[in-house]
Amino acid sequence: MRPERPVEAYHFEALGTRCSLFGLGVSQTELLKGEFWVRALGARVTRFSERSELSTLNRADGAWVDISAEMEALLREALLAYELSAGLVNVAVLPSLLAIGYTRPLAEGATTATMVTALPAPALPDVLSVRNKRARLERGCGVDLGGIAKGWMADRLAAQLGSDALANIGGDLRAVGEGPRGDGWPVGLGGATVMLRDQGAATSSVRRRKWGELHHLIDPRTGLPSRSGLEEVSVVAATGCEAEVVAKTALLLGPGLATAYCAAHSQAWWLST
Amino acid sequence: MRTFLLKAGALTLGTTLASAVYVTAHLKNPSAPLQPAVLTSQQGVDGLTITPGVRQGDVQPVTSTYAS
Repeated sequence: MRPERPVEAYHFEALGTRCSLFGLGVSQTELLKGEFWVRALGARVTRFSERSELSTLNRADGAWVDISAEMEALLREALLAYELSAGLVNVAVLPSLLAIGYTRPLAEGATTATMVTALPAPALPDVLSVRNKRARLERGCGVDLGGIAKGWMADRLAAQLGSDALANIGGDLRAVGEGPRGDGWPVGLGGATVMLRDQGAATSSVRRRKWGELHHLIDPRTGLPSRSGLEEVSVVAATGCEAEVVAKTALLLGPGLATAYCAAHSQAWWLST
Repeated sequence: MRTFLLKAGALTLGTTLASAVYVTAHLKNPSAPLQPAVLTSQQGVDGLTITPGVRQGDVQPVTSTYAS
């Protein structure tokens, strides 16, 4: 093991959560540029701003809209996540999120739940079409890219920061390279420290973003907040985005199936009931 | 011809019996590895499980994956 090299670190709040960037051989300026990138992209993919690209797509009422390359990549990632999770990670749960009162950033407080009868989310490939720099959502549908966007951004940001870096975007993280001592980047997961090398990690939980009996993690099969019996799942996978998808899928599957799913799709996992 | 058929039948029967014995014994082998191999695992659903693709460290983490 080589002597520990100094790590350049930078922390900031964005996307309604805490973000941290680490790098070996990178300057504070490069890390600051990383923050700008997160803020700029975050402003385009948030559903909480009327002027964002995502809001334009959500209110297009069934029409095709022009989208950026980043938005196209994110929407394609959302379709992949749907396939990987057999439909459990479905960004088309926006109507349910709005119905339970998650209409604005939770820092501003949830609004009153209006849900009368819960409806399962539609199959994403049936309602979302993506072409070259264009996308279309079926009328009456809406998408929320929250979780997918964080993992996706962590993956790209870590790669942008160089060959030895770590990007943590609200708990979805990606580590590239050998880390400060050459044996990986030390990351806390489930009360232990795991050494990540070119790997991602994420946590899915119903213990945060919670108000009263409600929380933000919608089960697309019911259209209601998950009651799977699992409260928190953390996983290590090949990328941050993949870890996010596996963690959320495992949480929605519940204790009976989560272990087998994690064993098939992740390299380390922590489950909490 | 009859001798040939008897030999072929005996060979088939023998192979089938040998395969059955081997498969049964293998299924009951308590040292057969779990798939995927697991380095550490706590009993029950709750807890941390680590496969050989991840190494556990004894240093302070620089950051954590956490619910947000």
